[in-house]
Amino acid sequence: MANHIGTVVLPGDVLKDIKPPDGSKKLLLGPGLVEDGDVIKVCKPGILRYRDPGVYWLDCHQKRYVACKGDQVLGIVTQKNVDMFRVDIGCSELASLSYLSFEGATKRNRPDVKVGDVIYAKVLVANKDMEPELVCIDSYGRSSGMGVIRGGGFLIHTSLNLARKLLNPQCVLMKALGNRFKFEIAVGMNGRIWLNTQNDVQTIAIANAIFAAEYMDNDQITSMCKKLSRVMSGME
Amino acid sequence: MAEEIRIVQPKEYYKRFLEKDVRPDNRELAEFRPVVLNIGCVTTAEGSALIKIGNTTVICGVKAELAKPDADQPKDGFIVPNVELPPLCSSNFRPGPPGEQAQVLSQTMADVIADSQCLLSESLCICPGKLVWVLHIDLVCLDYDGNVMDACMVALVSALRNTVLPKVTVDEETGDIQTDPTTRVPLQVTCCPVATTFIVFDNKLLLVDPTREEESMATGAVTIVTEGDNLCSIYKPGGTPLTENQIDNCIERAFTHGREVCRLIEDTLLSVDR
Amino acid sequence: MAAFTVVKKEDLEAQQKEESVQSLRCITSELGPLTQPDGSAVFTQGDTTALAAVYGPADVKISKELIDRATVEVIYKPKVGLPRPVDRKLERIIKNTLEAAIMALNHPRSLISIVIQETESLGANLACCVNAACMALLDAAVSMNFMVAAVSAAVTDKGEIILDPVSRVEDEARAVLTFVFDSVDKNIVTVITSGQFSQDEYKKCLYLTKQACDNVFSFYKDSLSKKLLKSA
Repeated sequence: MANHIGTVVLPGDVLKDIKPPDGSKKLLLGPGLVEDGDVIKVCKPGILRYRDPGVYWLDCHQKRYVACKGDQVLGIVTQKNVDMFRVDIGCSELASLSYLSFEGATKRNRPDVKVGDVIYAKVLVANKDMEPELVCIDSYGRSSGMGVIRGGGFLIHTSLNLARKLLNPQCVLMKALGNRFKFEIAVGMNGRIWLNTQNDVQTIAIANAIFAAEYMDNDQITSMCKKLSRVMSGME
Repeated sequence: MAEEIRIVQPKEYYKRFLEKDVRPDNRELAEFRPVVLNIGCVTTAEGSALIKIGNTTVICGVKAELAKPDADQPKDGFIVPNVELPPLCSSNFRPGPPGEQAQVLSQTMADVIADSQCLLSESLCICPGKLVWVLHIDLVCLDYDGNVMDACMVALVSALRNTVLPKVTVDEETGDIQTDPTTRVPLQVTCCPVATTFIVFDNKLLLVDPTREEESMATGAVTIVTEGDNLCSIYKPGGTPLTENQIDNCIERAFTHGREVCRLIEDTLLSVDR
Repeated sequence: MAAFTVVKKEDLEAQQKEESVQSLRCITSELGPLTQPDGSAVFTQGDTTALAAVYGPADVKISKELIDRATVEVIYKPKVGLPRPVDRKLERIIKNTLEAAIMALNHPRSLISIVIQETESLGANLACCVNAACMALLDAAVSMNFMVAAVSAAVTDKGEIILDPVSRVEDEARAVLTFVFDSVDKNIVTVITSGQFSQDEYKKCLYLTKQACDNVFSFYKDSLSKKLLKSA
């Protein structure tokens, strides 16, 4: 078992030695792994990861988002219906977002959302046979940061892998950039990133820094950010 | 009751039968449907054949015309097979330009003629660089009940064997074309390729000569074209992966079936007087 | 940015040996050469090259929608001119082959579209296209039951068998057979042949191509490992 973890596995590979940890019968399979009878099969190319207790998943590189329950995503409102918005979150169909799932929204008090607005929302329902459903409130009815993003900004598209990397608490990019520049950012699990900075030059610089960080480790990221701030201070 | 299950749960319906090694039309898994062959049924064509495999009906006519050959292949005539799947034969097809399946079938027919070399395009030459025959082989499916590939192949070969062309000569000096309708020359068809189609049901069972219903449920198909003791084509476009043994088994059965169909074509040809 | 090339040392050496008729030509590939599709790959086998791009699982037209599985669509673009019936047949073959490999049941009511552009067809074109498409699917991380690898073999007039033929050998050969194997049990997913051959020759080709397909699978593994471990 241990020898598979951290290695690259490909579709069709059978992982015979994955078993629930001692003393428990539960085994959690993450993306890329499927149960086929008695064995665990791999269905995507990726690196096998493990976390106690009994959680296995694949780290794979993907550009196309497939909706998953609980993910926080960035979407663009494309249609307005009678009682819901249709939001493009980058998966195979448009997601639906009810008028009522905004903080403080009632039948009388409709939220002010226009077609073309960028929305930061959470996936409530994700099922392969149904269209995904989004909400902009948590279970207490609070917005907790979600909702329409206003005040300009810039939306960039990255691979899902990069978005996950940025959200990983071990990644230093956000901290390194935040120490040197003043900006707002929202990262969606669907590979969309919204940026708002003081001027266009900074927006471009930060967007490029994010793209460049995809194949860098933490040391490289830190040195890149240093270099970037030096160049930027020269420009201003 | 049985009819309802057939419509609602076709796969379950078939499974029940196949568990007992029999198909709903009372055939065994390796049994072919009865074949009826009528050769020379279209009098206006140079050669023709009509085949019925169970309900599947395909009619084939060969029309010949004269043309100038391509400059880079002055000795080669043209063989143009064309399969039509009109809306008449099944509700799956709509009027309009040929669909993907018809195009693929036409291409397969052309490939088999080329691969088996049953009719060499050089044999259609009348005068090199000046005049060659163009054979339009039109295959029309009248009733689509599965296994159209095999039916088309038999119809094609029978019609070609049946084809006679008038003797045409070209005057070397004047270039005039003279046709002698009294002397008729049969085509030089050298061999008799026969296709045998198998489908894979439920990823494991092999059924021969599928009906339309069986084809729609199939998870894969293999078509093997044999010619005497040689193989002309093994055509398995994707579907369930099969083991070597399964394919070997198909090949053996295709050889036996090929010989039977060849005999049928020979016998029918003998009974037709031209 | 995500592009890189893998040249296997063994293959290069094998190619340098003039008489190595029984091995594959040198395989190289580039994953993700295109930025817009969800996955793309250039696959080169000797001088034959194909470029494949995958979009999916994406939005599907109502007319093509299947309620229980994903619609798989293959578009083959020849180097010159419009697609002919020959290309339609090729499309059909590749489509059916990939349909067996893709877990279509995982993405109902969506479209997985594969576009293959022929860039250089100098022998074993079908095999190259299938391999390119498989690599593009792996690059896009589409759920698959297994991977597929295609290998061609030619039977010469003398009955000799040449693996992965170049176009000159293909033109002179009596028969050309292309096999596609799955990565799990090495069973036969697809067989496409042209020309006449005996059952014995078929078996020999099958044996040789089956051995050679392992090289293709290990090549897939090498290239994907490089891609995935790059950012780890």
